[in-house]
Amino acid sequence: MDAKLNPRRADVESGLFFAGFGALTAALSLKYDLGSFAMMGPGMFPLLLGLCLSALGLAILTRGLLRAGDAARAVPLVPALGLTLSLIVFAVLVRCAGLAIAVPALVVTVLIPSPDFALRRAALLAVLLVVFCYLVFVLGLGVSLPMLSPPLSRWIGW
Amino acid sequence: MELFDNLLIGFHSALSLTNLAFCLIGVMVGTAIGILPGLGPLATIAMLLPLTYTLAPVTGLIMIAGIYYGAQYGGSTTAILVNLPGESSSIVTCLDGHQMARKGRAGAALAIAALGSFFAGTVATVLIAGFSPLLAGVGFLFGPVEYFALMVLGLTAATLLAHGSFLKGVAMVLTGLILGLVGADVNSGAYRFTFGYFSLTEGIEFVAIAMGLFAFTDVVMNIRRDQTRDVMAPSLTNLWITKAEAAEAALPVIRGTALGAFMGLLPGGGAMMSSFASYALEKRLSKRPETFGHGAIAGLAGPEAANNAGAQTSFIPMLTLGIPSNGVMALMIGALMVHNIAPGPFVMVSNPEVFWGLIASMWVGNAMLVILNLPLIPLWIRLIRVSYWILYPVILTVCCVGLYSIGNSTLPIWFAAGFTLLGCLFWRMRAEAAPLLLGFILGPMMEEHFRRALLLSQGDPAIFWQRPMSLAMLGLAFLLCLLVVVPQLRRGRAEAFTEEA
Repeated sequence: MDAKLNPRRADVESGLFFAGFGALTAALSLKYDLGSFAMMGPGMFPLLLGLCLSALGLAILTRGLLRAGDAARAVPLVPALGLTLSLIVFAVLVRCAGLAIAVPALVVTVLIPSPDFALRRAALLAVLLVVFCYLVFVLGLGVSLPMLSPPLSRWIGW
Repeated sequence: MELFDNLLIGFHSALSLTNLAFCLIGVMVGTAIGILPGLGPLATIAMLLPLTYTLAPVTGLIMIAGIYYGAQYGGSTTAILVNLPGESSSIVTCLDGHQMARKGRAGAALAIAALGSFFAGTVATVLIAGFSPLLAGVGFLFGPVEYFALMVLGLTAATLLAHGSFLKGVAMVLTGLILGLVGADVNSGAYRFTFGYFSLTEGIEFVAIAMGLFAFTDVVMNIRRDQTRDVMAPSLTNLWITKAEAAEAALPVIRGTALGAFMGLLPGGGAMMSSFASYALEKRLSKRPETFGHGAIAGLAGPEAANNAGAQTSFIPMLTLGIPSNGVMALMIGALMVHNIAPGPFVMVSNPEVFWGLIASMWVGNAMLVILNLPLIPLWIRLIRVSYWILYPVILTVCCVGLYSIGNSTLPIWFAAGFTLLGCLFWRMRAEAAPLLLGFILGPMMEEHFRRALLLSQGDPAIFWQRPMSLAMLGLAFLLCLLVVVPQLRRGRAEAFTEEA
């Protein structure tokens, strides 16, 4: 029913997005030197692109308002936010706590909303992944990532 | 016999022990990830790209190319055995390949797909070796005006042939072009859109964009999906093709190769378009078109050969002109630039061992796929059966460590997180993300050529239609646009009227 109530959402939403993004680009590029057509400054090309994009966005918006276009698809919100959050958790922890903390944290964060979540499964997977990362990335490819970050290992008393 | 001399250089470089080893690793890892339902070649390459950064340029590129064929082959395997297309180019493989598997001919279907792809790959490799120097010769005649026109034509055609709405595709290209401009401006050195962050001066890391928009968004969409999989496991004794089946597959493979090799050259062409076109052609030519969709061998052999041939010949415009015809080629260009090789006609002259080594490795990689993958099918089947809740944490971890390793910085992970949300938004708005990647890669080059062209003409835009080659290309791009937009407008008006009535 939802799709029938709002048949034009996909075009309207994308039209607004593109028009907004284009206008923002154009506005921001005015901060830079525009130069002339013969000697373009850094602001000219982004300004042109931004103007084109916002015009195109308006065209898509108009089309969306005039005719029945595609319905917008419903994004699975929980997985989308859970996955993004797990990436952020990893990014924050990998530097300040080390790989041995960041990987389990990522695994738990991304699995918690899943119906398959069980603490023992997650723990086992996390341990195996930490070992895998150590063997492949740290030993094999020489990525400089501490398993435990220096402040943390000092705190533990190693 | 210059061709053979060149191929000799290529094989010399491709057959070195290191390169062989990394080609093998690429092919295996690519297959393993491509086999996972929902992850196509684009997502697979994006995931594994950071791992190739530490390698020498030739070795890294050979590995990425290996990942590409592996991912494609893996996609076909999943399509045949599980009826889940791992990527758009194996949708067609599902139709008849899976029906063959249902009839107990899963082994034969896999063998036909593998051998057909190998034949197509061999022919395409020779074509690339033969054609690339010719096309590069054309590339040398191009100045900034022609390059700008070529990029406009390439982007237009690529957007046009990609699925989804054309207007949104163009808007996505423009969005990508804008994102590509973030960072230091080449001419003036001014920092654009960096918002005061020094780490943004080198631009947004393209792997972060590709991972966010493709790999992570794909994972999000697959987490919810029903995970029960009905795997048609073939027994290994079943792998042999009967004589009748071989005879039935031979002509479609040859036709598919020819069609795919041609389609791959077109911007926007490549694997998916080729397989659809070949399926349509085989159905038209078949004496028993009613068998299509019920396990027709021609309906499997033709498209499989076509998609492999198309996947390979799409390297030609990328290697010789620096124009990516699809998302995968955009990633290849990004990889070249990471290794400080500017894509274009000069690659062949300045880095012959890279150029010819890559081409020779294509053949080597295809041969490895045939030799190794048929016996490994039981292993792959086991991999398909692994539950998704195990797979996606593994994928995420590998991606995160990969993103970190690019520059020992967490910034790319933050960007990938942002682009995941953006990717979900694009999915919601039904805007195809591949054109954005094309735009992002071409953005800086396009600006450069645009500025130089107008510098030459002292600010007069007429230069774009005064040069014959540029006029022809821009005219063609304009015509293509009209072809799409005019019927849409008409239909739109008709719909508007019916709605009012």
